[in-house]
Amino acid sequence: MDSSSSSQPEFDYLFKLLLIGDSGVGKSSLLLRFTSDSFDDLSPTIGVDFKVKMVTIGGKKLKLAIWDTAGQERFRTLTSSYYRGAQGIIMVYDVTRRETFSNLADVWAKEIDLYSTNQDCIKMLVGNKVDKESERVVTKKEGIDFAREYGCLFLECSAKTRVNVEQCFEELVLKILDTPSLLAEGSAGVERNIFKQKPPQADASTSSCC
Amino acid sequence: MVRGFVTANGMEKKRTSDEFEPGPIPPSQPVDRFGFIKQEQNSPDGITKSRPANEHEREERRIRKWRKMIGVGGSDWKHYVRRKPHVVKRRIRKGIPDCLRGLVWQLISGSRDLLLMNPGVYEQLVIYETSASELDIIRDISRTFPSHVFFQQRHGPGQRSLYNVLKAYSVYDRDVGYVQGMGFLAGLLLLYMSEEDAFWLLVALLKGAVHAPMEGLYLGVKVVFKVGLALLRFCHDGLIKLPFEKLIHALRNFPEDAMNPDTLLPLAFSIKVSKRLEELKQEYEKRNVASLQQTGSANRQQLAIKDKEFSIRPETSNCVPKDDSSR
Repeated sequence: MDSSSSSQPEFDYLFKLLLIGDSGVGKSSLLLRFTSDSFDDLSPTIGVDFKVKMVTIGGKKLKLAIWDTAGQERFRTLTSSYYRGAQGIIMVYDVTRRETFSNLADVWAKEIDLYSTNQDCIKMLVGNKVDKESERVVTKKEGIDFAREYGCLFLECSAKTRVNVEQCFEELVLKILDTPSLLAEGSAGVERNIFKQKPPQADASTSSCC
Repeated sequence: MVRGFVTANGMEKKRTSDEFEPGPIPPSQPVDRFGFIKQEQNSPDGITKSRPANEHEREERRIRKWRKMIGVGGSDWKHYVRRKPHVVKRRIRKGIPDCLRGLVWQLISGSRDLLLMNPGVYEQLVIYETSASELDIIRDISRTFPSHVFFQQRHGPGQRSLYNVLKAYSVYDRDVGYVQGMGFLAGLLLLYMSEEDAFWLLVALLKGAVHAPMEGLYLGVKVVFKVGLALLRFCHDGLIKLPFEKLIHALRNFPEDAMNPDTLLPLAFSIKVSKRLEELKQEYEKRNVASLQQTGSANRQQLAIKDKEFSIRPETSNCVPKDDSSR
């Protein structure tokens, strides 16, 4: 195992992304598909979990710290504290379960309003499980309409067949890269003490003390 | 060090959760001694770890001692605990023999008494009551210990029992209902005892019987802490070299030799924890108690736990002993 910490790859930006949505819609599966390109039976997420992935998008080397939260209501007091500082939030629903879609407006959008600290934070709506087309109860149009109303990006995907999974994260990240206020944060990241990071721009040095 | 999810022989165990007909009985696969399907082939075959012969004898001796201590069907247990609490404590720390865990857990927790005091209640809960959590529970059943032989078969006996216990609990304790994660607790119990026994033990653990709810956890939190420290100490040299992302993975997948209870627990009990932690905890609580009280029902559980911490009755310290590392 190459493990010397000095060989840590460099990156231009660090982004914090968050996955939210009802229990069982496939948040953890989406994340597993994206970070490890695999699909399996996963245990319910207790509290929070997170994975890191290095990607190159839009010509930039990016380190994505993706937080995966428990969907069950009981854990909401816990998960709410993870919205802080996220540059991107992915709201996931299950196209075969109506209530996971209606809860977006009733619950999840409100959670974002309450707890997100980034005004410009990019939101993305993702309808998962499109592989079960015959069981679909939420139409694509409904998804599009919701996304328009709430100002989100929108995609339908399947963690099982991997359709559109990469695109979800890619589109979200591209939009973040397009948003100057988020970029500034991503480069002079608050998590600097945890993630060894090279300040990419000279402007970061103005705040240094010596 | 990547842990594959695909099982041996390249056989995939992907089971999607759509179909409702009872699943086929999964083909027999190599399992560990607890019944979990072995996931790794990367451990070389030489590591078959056949326990040495003398260990087998030791285990036999241990079982005989325990049987004597418990008596037939647990008849001598209470008497023994009262007479020789220190012996009980020492033996528990050495490990309850696997074949007796089901019974001993029921005795220690007092769930046996709950069961005897409430004949027919479990059946009533399972058959006649309905729960608002039924769908939530069903959704999690196939996600609970999917790699254990007992729970592997779709709608098999394991999954059915797990569903029954969780549903019964969610009715019995409507304030709490079903909380994700309970399945792993109930599932573990079901590996050692019948449905009804498992249900009452779950009740004893979560709502309290002899002990306050989860008292063991809070009295024993120091033990949990020490076990954690022992794991970290054991793996120190490897962990310290890892970059952050790999560290997360490593902390979730400790090597098997680190998890060997015969070495891990003695190491854990040898670690001394200073009182400083306790002081910090009190300081923290003092500061937070005001804000906690304001947040209302969301934190009801935490507050309940707090109350319980101050109401631990001395006579129960027999079974979940106070730590005495300050020799």
